[in-house]
Amino acid sequence: MTNSAKHSFLFALLFLCFNIALIAKPFESTYKPLPSINVLIKNANIYDGEGNELLQTDLLIKDRKIEAIGKDLPVTNDFEVIDASGKWVTPGIIDIHSHMGVYPAPGVRTSSDGNEATSPVTADVWAEHSMWVQDPQYTLALSGGVTAFHVLPGSANLIGGRGVTVKNLQRVTINSMKFPDAPHSLKMACGENPKRVYGNRQQAPSTRMGNIAGYRKAWIEAEAYLNRLNEYETKSDEAKEMGYKPTRDLELDTLAGVLRGEILVHNHCYRADEMASMIDVAKEFGYKITAFHHGVEAYKIADLLAENNICGALWADWWGFKHEAYDMVQANIAIVDQAKGGTGCAIVHSDDAIGIQHLNQEASKALSAGIRAGYDISKARAMNWITSNPAKAAGIYDQTGSLKVGKNADVVIWSKNPFSVYALAETVFIDGGMAYDRESGFYPSSDFDVGIINANKNRLEE
Amino acid sequence: MFIKLFKTFFLLIFVGTLYSDTTLIKNATIYDGVKNIPFVGNILIENEIIKRVSSANMQADFVIDASGMIVTPGIIGTDTNIGIVEIGALSVTRDDSSEIYTIGFSIHDAFNPKSTLIPWNRSNGVTSALSLPLGTSSPIGGLGSYFLLDGELDITSNKDVVMIGNVGGSSNKSRAETFAVMDDLLSFASSINARDLSNDADIADLIEASPIADFMELHPRDVKALFKLINDNLPLIISTHRASDILKLIELKEKYNLNLIIKGAQDASLVASQIAESNIPLIINPINNIPESFDELASNIQMASRLEKKGINLMFNTPRSHNFHLVRQGAGVAVANGMSYEAAIKGITSTPANVFNIDQRGEIKAGYFADIVIWDADPLEPSSMPEYVFINGKNIDLTSRSSRLRDRYTTQPEKPNTYRN
Repeated sequence: MTNSAKHSFLFALLFLCFNIALIAKPFESTYKPLPSINVLIKNANIYDGEGNELLQTDLLIKDRKIEAIGKDLPVTNDFEVIDASGKWVTPGIIDIHSHMGVYPAPGVRTSSDGNEATSPVTADVWAEHSMWVQDPQYTLALSGGVTAFHVLPGSANLIGGRGVTVKNLQRVTINSMKFPDAPHSLKMACGENPKRVYGNRQQAPSTRMGNIAGYRKAWIEAEAYLNRLNEYETKSDEAKEMGYKPTRDLELDTLAGVLRGEILVHNHCYRADEMASMIDVAKEFGYKITAFHHGVEAYKIADLLAENNICGALWADWWGFKHEAYDMVQANIAIVDQAKGGTGCAIVHSDDAIGIQHLNQEASKALSAGIRAGYDISKARAMNWITSNPAKAAGIYDQTGSLKVGKNADVVIWSKNPFSVYALAETVFIDGGMAYDRESGFYPSSDFDVGIINANKNRLEE
Repeated sequence: MFIKLFKTFFLLIFVGTLYSDTTLIKNATIYDGVKNIPFVGNILIENEIIKRVSSANMQADFVIDASGMIVTPGIIGTDTNIGIVEIGALSVTRDDSSEIYTIGFSIHDAFNPKSTLIPWNRSNGVTSALSLPLGTSSPIGGLGSYFLLDGELDITSNKDVVMIGNVGGSSNKSRAETFAVMDDLLSFASSINARDLSNDADIADLIEASPIADFMELHPRDVKALFKLINDNLPLIISTHRASDILKLIELKEKYNLNLIIKGAQDASLVASQIAESNIPLIINPINNIPESFDELASNIQMASRLEKKGINLMFNTPRSHNFHLVRQGAGVAVANGMSYEAAIKGITSTPANVFNIDQRGEIKAGYFADIVIWDADPLEPSSMPEYVFINGKNIDLTSRSSRLRDRYTTQPEKPNTYRN
C-alpha cells in the first residue's frame, strides 16, 4: 500500500468511527500540479532532510515522485538530465509559520485579514478564507526554495482560528493551492498580545491568568459539544429520528476537531513558564500541542518540550520587540534540537515575508550558534529544521519534507552549499513540475505584478 | 567542562593584557574600508589609535595572530535606535519621540550606554551607531546623534549630527502638502541669520513672522535646528520610496543645496541615473524586496547591485536595532545578488563615516581610532562572529546578556537555574 493509499484508508476509518455526517468537509483541495517532467539530477551534493549528507549523488524524479537516489544512476533518453556538479540539492523548504496571503503585500488595511480581533475565541474562522491568492510575496518565497507553507491567523486572540497548509503554487482560487490531505491547524496565542488587545477594551482577558481561564472555558464547552455529538451518534436510527440533532456550531466544530486529534495545535507562546502552563491545559483536556511558535525562551524548558513531543518553531535571533521576547539566546534552536539526547524537534520558522526567503540562512545562524554553544550538530541535521520537521508539524511528512523514494518530488537545486549566504536557489520543483528556474528567468507573477509600474512589464522585470 | 576551564584560564591571561599600551594584529587579511582588494598585513594599535598598518614586522605588548582571519573596520550603524529604545512594544522604555519639539528634537541626552542592545550588537561587530528619533509631526525634523558603543557611562558621541525627515508612505495627507511644507520650512530656514538667534525673544519674532513656523508652533530649539541644517550643511536623511518622490527631493536638494541622504528608496532603481547625477548616498535594506506599500512597488533583491553599477554610494540598514548587526546578512544577500564584496563592506564601514562626517573612523588606517573587528570567518556570512572587537583601541569583552543566558541554561546542571551564574 502506498503512503497516500494508507492515508486515505486511515481517513476512511476515522470517518467510520466518528461518522462525520454532522461535520461535512467543505473547501476541499482542488490542487492540480504543474506539468511534470522526468529529470535526472546528476552528481549533486544532497542534504536529504533525514539528517544525511550524500555527496556526488544522483536523484531521479519520475512521475512527480522521487524515483531513486544513488550514485551513478543510469542515464537514459527517458529523462532530462541536469548536471548538478558542485551544486547542492535539498528537499523543498517548508515554513510552518507564515502570514502570506492573510497579511499580503502591500500591507494595507483593505487586505489586512489575519486577525479576527473581535472576540478572544474565534475558533470558527479559517485563515484560508482570508488568504489573497494574488499576494506578490509567494513568488519571492519560491525564489528562496519554499515549496509549501503553513498560513496561520494572527495572535490577537487566545484561539485565533484554523490555519492551512498550501503548495507554493499561486492559483486563482485558494482551494486550488491547498495541500491535499493536509490537516488543519488551530492557532492559539499566549501572553502579551491577547491580553493587550482585549485588556485595552476593558474586557477579558487583560492578564495572563485571564488568558489561561479563557482557554479552559473554551475547552470545557468543546468537551460538552463533543459529548453531545458522540452521544447522538451512538443512538439507534430510530432514536435519532425521534430526537434532536445537536445544533452545529462552527467554533466548537474546530475545537472538537482538536480533541479528536484531527486538527493540530500551533501555539504562539514566548515565555517558558507560559509554555509549561499551556502543556498543563492540553493535558487537562486531552489534546496535543504540535508546536510552540516563537518560543524565545524554549531553551529554558527544552527537555519538557522533548518529553511531550512538542516542536519548537523558532527564529534564529529575533528579540526585544516585546518584553516576552527579551531573553533571546541564539542557540535556542540547537538547544531544543539537542534536548533529551537529541530527540527534540526544532523548526526554523519565519513569520515574515523576508525571512521565508532565507530560511536556509536562518538555519545557518542557528546551527553556528549551536556549535559555538558546544553542540555537535551537522549541517545535514540542521537541514531537517526547515524541511522534515516543519513537514511533520504540518502533518504532511508522509508526502513531502525529505528526499525519500516515493515522496513528492519537491526539490531545490542550490548554486552553493545552502548554509552559505551566497547560495541561491537555482531551480525549484514542486511535485516534479518546474516551478522556478533562476537562469532562464522562469518564475510565476501574481496578477498584482502585472503592469503595475510599467504597463508593458511585470513588476520584477527590469 | 574542560573547555569551560580552558576558556576561564584564557580569559585570565587575557584580562591581564587588556590595558597594554600596544596591540599587534598579525598576518590579518585586511579589508581596510577603502581599497578594493584585501591585503595581508599587520596592524599596530597604540592606546586608542591605529599607529601603523604595514607588512613589516612590529613589536607590541599583546600580539594576536590573525593568520587566515578577515579583519575589517568596526561596523557603523547608520540607522538605529540603539541606546534610546530598550523594548520596542514597551513605551516606558522608549525615548525616541517628543510631544513638544519637532524639528529640534534631539535624542542625544536620552542615550543609555547600559542598554542590553549594546553588548549584543558589538559582540556581533557593530562598534558605533547613529541613533535616530522615531520621526516627528514635521516632515523635516528630529536630530540624530552618533555614539560609540563602548558601554561607558562617560559617553563618546557626536551630538546632533544628522536631521531626519519623511515623505510619502502611510500618511493620509497628500504628499503634495508634504513637499509644500518642506519647501516652506526650507525657505524659512534659508532666511534666518545667525544674529536673529541670539535670544529666544528674537526667535519668537521670527516664528511669528513666518506663516509656516507660526502654524506649526515651532519652538526656538526647532528654529535653531533649521538654521543648523542649512548653515552647517547638516546631513538630512529623508525616508521615502517612490520614484516620483525621489525626483522631487532631488529638486529640493538642488534648490536649497541640501546635504541629502535618502533612506528606504525601494524605487531607486527607476531613477538611479538621477540619484547618481545628484550624488545622493542611499541607506537601503538590501534584503528587503517586499512591495510593502504602494510607494515601493519596484522593491527588488537586485537593487543594491543595480545601484552600485550606477556609481551610487550605498549604506545598509535593517529595521530592527536589537539585531542591527544583521546588516551583515543583508550585505551578504546583496553580494549573492550581484553587488561587489568590497562595496558591501564599505557600505557598513567607511561610507557611513564619510557621509556623516565621522572623523577618523570607518577605515583601518594609520592615525584613525582603532575600531577594529577580527572575524572567525567571512563577516558577510551571518554564521560568522567576531573573535575580537576593538573600540577606541580597547579589547572589548564579548559577553552579552544573551551569551550569559545561554551559559546559564547549558552549563551547571547540578544547580537550580536561579542559583547558576
